[in-house]
Amino acid sequence: MRDVWIAAAAMTRFGRRSEKLEDLMADAALEALREADRQPEALVVTAMAPEGFVGEGNFASHIGTYIGLSRVPGLRVETATSSGAAALYAGFALIASGFHNHVLVVGGEKMTHVSTPRVSEIISRVIDPHERSYGATMPALAAIVARAALAKGLITETDMARVAVKNHSNGARNPYAHFQRPVTIDEVMSSRMIADPLRLQHCCPISDGAAAVLLTSDPTGLKLAGMGQGSDYLAVRYRSSLTGFRATQDAAKAAYKMAGFGPERVQMAEIHDAFAPFEILALEDTGLFPLGKAAKAVQNGELTLEGRLPVNPSGGLKARGHALAATGLAQVVELAWQLTGRAMGRQAEARVGLAHSIGGMASNNWVTLVEQVA
Amino acid sequence: MENIAASRCPDCGWMVAPPARICPRHPVEMTPTEVSGYGSVLSYTTLTVAPEGFKPPLHIAVVELQGGARIFCHGKETRALKIGRRVAIEQVDGIFYFANLAIADRATLFWKRRGGAPERTRDAVKSAVKRFFNVYAENGAGAPSPTEPTEIRTNATDTESTPAARK
Repeated sequence: MRDVWIAAAAMTRFGRRSEKLEDLMADAALEALREADRQPEALVVTAMAPEGFVGEGNFASHIGTYIGLSRVPGLRVETATSSGAAALYAGFALIASGFHNHVLVVGGEKMTHVSTPRVSEIISRVIDPHERSYGATMPALAAIVARAALAKGLITETDMARVAVKNHSNGARNPYAHFQRPVTIDEVMSSRMIADPLRLQHCCPISDGAAAVLLTSDPTGLKLAGMGQGSDYLAVRYRSSLTGFRATQDAAKAAYKMAGFGPERVQMAEIHDAFAPFEILALEDTGLFPLGKAAKAVQNGELTLEGRLPVNPSGGLKARGHALAATGLAQVVELAWQLTGRAMGRQAEARVGLAHSIGGMASNNWVTLVEQVA
Repeated sequence: MENIAASRCPDCGWMVAPPARICPRHPVEMTPTEVSGYGSVLSYTTLTVAPEGFKPPLHIAVVELQGGARIFCHGKETRALKIGRRVAIEQVDGIFYFANLAIADRATLFWKRRGGAPERTRDAVKSAVKRFFNVYAENGAGAPSPTEPTEIRTNATDTESTPAARK
């Protein structure tokens, strides 16, 4: 297997955007092409639900043509809300296998032009049909997980609020973030209830945005050191544990194995905090903290930009925003910027970063390790 | 107590509800079976923002039935609910409801769904008798004894209980 390197990483600002999805994706893709100065031999495109949100299909050809790469063989990858990470994996595999030397991976989503109930309905299609037929939405399933974690004493309601506060504080320093203002613990804990015990300020927003990464077999100094995928039952009710995600645990194990190192070398993480408690659970599922210790790290401020292990320096899904298929790529873009000293205003010290992406209600998750080698 | 349709894997013995054609653990055809509509609450939530087709507040619980099959169900409220609490499952129009139901509530429920008055009364009484018998029989049979055996909560003022809550 060949080593795979990041030649360029780019993204648009996340948030409520007036541009078309195609233009957001073109902005990210063209920026990555300019930076990389390499012609891609293959194109991996991802959007979670362009059929539902923007009414477009045959999406790899659509985007390939729109960005002037119609002669470059393209394919579309989709694994629900982790589609960005899945697309990166496909690009990784194309290079590691020797099929291609340079691959452009681009992902995006455009949702804010659609009404919120409609957005929820489209996103809810990633949920098991029995569970969905009882009105289970993503916040509902996350609340069911959070309730179980609260009952087990893995988290407290204040810990959940602290995660949101920290991530907003980081987002306030990130010009690419959806929300660029801090929030207080009181604000989070008094925000309106969505799905008991989850409040509005525990939940990520509906964002538009796009991100692109150009991968290459040429050593650039920024190495995709390991990628792992983990899967679980679509149905949450089939799982033996509600308070940890097997898909994350398996993904992390696979990524560490490929990289040849463990969580002890990770100095920074971008975590899929679609709901605040998920950040705490993911820090344990990825082995960055022992079981039951991550909440303590949140309390001690270990996860801030100045802390021992900065988590979600971008602001995470909570503040940078969650543009579905763009998110998994945006996490890696943030790591690329951080590890090469280009995260202006929010720069932290790290040489090894971890990105964690959740697909659906954790049925198809990814862990990616990025290392600054040079 | 109502029985709930489920399926069992002939290889690993795992049970799932509603029934699935193939065991989610391996590609083996499952065998249809039924499980008793008693279980314990694994987790729950109340949605104050409900998806299209539902009316908030929407109470959802995940309940583990005897034999290990788990289902999602609706209920009247989650305020008094705790993880681990034992509940009865009732099916109305194919929808599962977890029930901490008092006899009065059950009567109302039957009143809403059945035909003529005498029939309704008879069904309500039958249901109450059945329920008491089941609780008694279950405790007698050495099943894990619920701390609050009948688990009855009255909330008869809440008329949104049941099928009507799902518009």
